[in-house]
Amino acid sequence: MSVPDTVPQPETEPGVATAEAGVVILEGPDGVAVTMTPDAATGTANSLLSAADTARTQTRHGDTST
Amino acid sequence: MFTERFLRDRRGVDLEPAERAMLEDAIAEVKTVGPRQIIVRAGERIEQSTLLIEGFMSRYIDDRRGLRQLVAVHVPGDFVDLHSYPLKILDHDVATMTAATVAIVPHTALDRIKTDMPSLIDKLWFATLIDAAIHRAWLFRLGRLDALGRVAHFLSETNARLISAGLSDGRRFALGLTQNDLAEICGLTSVHVNRIMRQLREERLCTFRSSLVEIPDPERLARRGEFDPAYLYITPALAPGEASKAQR
Repeated sequence: MSVPDTVPQPETEPGVATAEAGVVILEGPDGVAVTMTPDAATGTANSLLSAADTARTQTRHGDTST
Repeated sequence: MFTERFLRDRRGVDLEPAERAMLEDAIAEVKTVGPRQIIVRAGERIEQSTLLIEGFMSRYIDDRRGLRQLVAVHVPGDFVDLHSYPLKILDHDVATMTAATVAIVPHTALDRIKTDMPSLIDKLWFATLIDAAIHRAWLFRLGRLDALGRVAHFLSETNARLISAGLSDGRRFALGLTQNDLAEICGLTSVHVNRIMRQLREERLCTFRSSLVEIPDPERLARRGEFDPAYLYITPALAPGEASKAQR
């Protein structure tokens, strides 16, 4: 079954993180707009890197389970 | 006259003189309320509705941690909680954001209007339908727009509503809100809103200083916020950003 293109799709452009007044602001992709402490930003970054590595493995093996 | 801004310049719903007179007669009390005062608490039974004459009010829901999401902002001329007439109990709080002047309309008076002047009830219903349209736009704003887009959309919408109320010249209006208010409206942190306001200023889209909003080019701001004023049902000649529709 094809997915209608009105449904949100995985973003192909990265979000952009910037530091402002001692916190980290992540904007994008899409409507993401979140502010984090430096520690939360580091934790999120590590989690994203780990999940991205896993996702690449899933793509290679045709496995889309988490 | 306390109702002069109610449904002012909305397409096809001009109040007839007899309707306006009946609405004026329905007002039991006019009072001033200080800023940041709760008018209606969620879950309490209500026997009256509130017409906002001056100032700004909000509807909001707090999460378990006490963090607030505003779900509506009301400008002069809005019947803030007209939906409490059939509902009697609201699912959200209603509060002033600035000092405000409000007219209190008992639900018994609305009962009389329903009996004696059904055409006016239709127009009150129209007002609640505009509220619903604004809620739909609110969902779109929070669900689909980036941070700058959310603020641009809200300021464009507020400009349009205040033009209709006779309180904006289309490029400049008084807005007694704080950056924390904008944060609660747009689902952003205060530091993020602060940066967005700087970005809006640097891109010459908007300045917001000392409770005064200035928008040099309303159509450009509307485009950035994907704002189309159609859902406000404003008399077309008055609506800002009409030209932006063609570019969506």
